[in-house]
Amino acid sequence: MKIISNSEKQTFKIANEFAKKLSGGEVLCLLGDLGAGKTAFIKGLASGLGVKNIITSPTFVLMKVYEGKNKIILSHIDAYRLDSGAELQYIGADEYLNDSNCITAIEWADRVKDIWPKNKILIKFKILEGNKREINIT
Amino acid sequence: MFGYYITLGCFLEVWCQGLFFLFFDVMILGNMIILAIETSCDETSASVLKAGSKKLELLSNVVSSQINIHAVYGGVVPEVAARQHVHNILPVIDEALKTAKIKPAKIDLLAVVPGPGLITSLMVGVETAKSLSFAWQKPLLEVNHMYGHIAGNFLQPIVFPAICLVVSGGHTEIVHLKNYQTYKKIGQTVDDASGEAYDKVAKLLNLGYPGGPKVSAEADKFTLLSKEGVGGGLPRIKLPRPMLNSGDFNFSFSGLKTAVLYATQKMTKKELLERTPEICFEFQEATIEVLTKKTLTAAKQFKAKTILMAGGVAANKRLREQLREMSEANGFAFSVPEFKLCTDNAAMIAIASYYLSQNKKTPLDNWQKIKVDPNWELA
Repeated sequence: MKIISNSEKQTFKIANEFAKKLSGGEVLCLLGDLGAGKTAFIKGLASGLGVKNIITSPTFVLMKVYEGKNKIILSHIDAYRLDSGAELQYIGADEYLNDSNCITAIEWADRVKDIWPKNKILIKFKILEGNKREINIT
Repeated sequence: MFGYYITLGCFLEVWCQGLFFLFFDVMILGNMIILAIETSCDETSASVLKAGSKKLELLSNVVSSQINIHAVYGGVVPEVAARQHVHNILPVIDEALKTAKIKPAKIDLLAVVPGPGLITSLMVGVETAKSLSFAWQKPLLEVNHMYGHIAGNFLQPIVFPAICLVVSGGHTEIVHLKNYQTYKKIGQTVDDASGEAYDKVAKLLNLGYPGGPKVSAEADKFTLLSKEGVGGGLPRIKLPRPMLNSGDFNFSFSGLKTAVLYATQKMTKKELLERTPEICFEFQEATIEVLTKKTLTAAKQFKAKTILMAGGVAANKRLREQLREMSEANGFAFSVPEFKLCTDNAAMIAIASYYLSQNKKTPLDNWQKIKVDPNWELA
């Protein structure tokens, strides 16, 4: 599914709607350059899942975990500084990857390809002109 | 009883030597010796603090930095960091004790950071501190890393209430302090930390890691060029000041980084290279303007007497100058730790633990209860 977003706000809304289709246990692999809209997407996703907290970048601590509506958990991972998926084990990410109540969203997921599950959802962000972005969900 | 006579004997002897006041401190109010350990990110650090009722004296502050090891990766690699911590931790503690000329038996309190930070790094410090606590039979106090940064200001007395701007690679917050131990976070970044924005801009401009010093150095080049009349004075590029008028004390830096991306997209490689100092200058001005103005507004609203600054980004020279100028012009006292107490270090943790220990008694066997918490946010 290819979607064109014309603004950060629209990216937020797209993710907000997308979140409602998730039931738990999904692993979202986000790919795209700096400024491509990953932060906006995760914020929309969290809002759609009913997370009340402010979603801040997990770059420094690698993983942040939030609780949403109906006991759904959002595990937000930043793989930017990782070399392999094995390193995610060190930070305790396994626990969430295999949990049917948890939705895992991995930014810079191309760095940890070795742990992509078969049923992963790939979300690719492409910077078009100006504020325009192509979001490709497969 | 026997001990009493010995101390009394020493007391009289010292009195005779005219050092009465010094000893009065030790005996009646008690000097406290603290050993603190900090391993929350890429610095392995240990520090010994001698805390009397009238003055805090840092006896040692040993920091072993891994920054060169991680520079090749463009950021801290968690697994590498953890291995380096394991390698460094005991020699660093040993060095801290030797420099301070303190034997383990003389230590009254141990302090360690369980969070926030990198889980793999935090674990090395916490497990080491717990082992020492058990082996030496000393109480162990847990200190929040961000509160530690703030406490870097507490070597000198502070006039409260105070507002503290906490800026680092992982955090950007405004904290209201009623006294040394009572504080509340009143605002924070809603996306990236300011230090992270520096790192990301440095990456966009191919400047390398760590981003803060690199971007600042480029910005300084522009200032210098302007003085020589070459660079043209004001930057032609204009970046947004995100959330400047949002009416709260929150920040946002993700969009500022994207604005830098847009500005660079239209440039040729040659132009980008030439205008890198100008972009860095404008980015730094935008960041500093939002940070300083919001801090000042908070200080006015909370009727603060003092404005404090803390965290790794507080080592940024331009930010220090600007916040000091603005604070003093508006009648606030201003404090920022010296450079080596701004970046991650154990001395600030030792100072923090001293103030926390004044509020609560720490039992000898509490080491079993202390656990790492990489997402431990300030309340």
